[in-house]
Amino acid sequence: MNKFKLIIISLLILTITGCANTFVTKEQEFPEMYNEKPRSLLIMPPINMSTAADAKDYYATTVEMPIAFQGYYTFPYELTSEILKQEGIYDSELVYDMPLNKFHEYFGADAVLFTKIVKWDTSYLVVASNLTVSIDAEIKSTKTSQTLWKYNGTVVIDLSGNNGSGGMAGLIANIINTAINTAAADYTKYARQANGRFIGTVPVGPYHPLYLKDQQIKIQQQPKQ
Amino acid sequence: MQIKILVIVCATLFFTGCATKKPMYDYDEYSETFYAMKRETSAETQTEWKSTLETIIIKSEEINIRVPPGVYANLGYLHLKANDGSKAISYFELEKSIYPEAIHFMDRLINRVKTQP
Repeated sequence: MNKFKLIIISLLILTITGCANTFVTKEQEFPEMYNEKPRSLLIMPPINMSTAADAKDYYATTVEMPIAFQGYYTFPYELTSEILKQEGIYDSELVYDMPLNKFHEYFGADAVLFTKIVKWDTSYLVVASNLTVSIDAEIKSTKTSQTLWKYNGTVVIDLSGNNGSGGMAGLIANIINTAINTAAADYTKYARQANGRFIGTVPVGPYHPLYLKDQQIKIQQQPKQ
Repeated sequence: MQIKILVIVCATLFFTGCATKKPMYDYDEYSETFYAMKRETSAETQTEWKSTLETIIIKSEEINIRVPPGVYANLGYLHLKANDGSKAISYFELEKSIYPEAIHFMDRLINRVKTQP
């Protein structure tokens, strides 16, 4: 009987650990967030790796709100991005690997948030048109310049309307449909969905009711790069 | 009759229990008007952005919740760009008063306005 139990338990453990998705607590994954306890985040202009030139400005309008709702003081992006421009920082790439203490000196920011638009594209001339929005987000300390938190949010949206059958006429209808859907798509809607994939993994900040009480909340672990 | 009263009391308790749960922030049309302004910078989109910021403040005061971070500061900045330094300063002061995290940055801006000719 005991042996049988043991086998069952072993099998169960094997099954669970064999799963692709590993869940860890926020504290295990991002201990430095709980050590440093940043209160304010400076949102840097997005780093745009996509082929869409306008993605940078558009995506930037979606970042402040979720970060604020997560309990952090967010500096007013419209104002801070303008000042960064005046100071010669057009692209966040330029400062990504540099000491970040100057952002504490200038703005009083405890940490900065880098976002990288990995993908923001549509494929027009295929029947099944997909839109992928993929964002890498990273919080870095202005004290140590070390990474405190990092996560990716990706959404893939099928814009084809999905009415597959109907022969040639159906195919043409589909293509027209796709073109219309793609043109009408408000990309920021999908950007907000992508943000939604990572925002919940950020340990909450001082204006959130669960501040310093969310250490044990489980999140899905992402592969380290 | 007693049961009826009990039901009413329970129902009242239940509903007031729900009603006290306020939202954390009211952002009104913040990201929509921000996006519209980035998409097409014009007098019209800028006016809409400004009036959204003002609406956020009014709505937040109505239900007695904290104005979201950066809203006062953004408004102050708009007044600064319109060459109204004293109004700009008063908004920067408001931002400081509800968010101590902003004091350093707001003081820098206020000093900048004051030292400008």
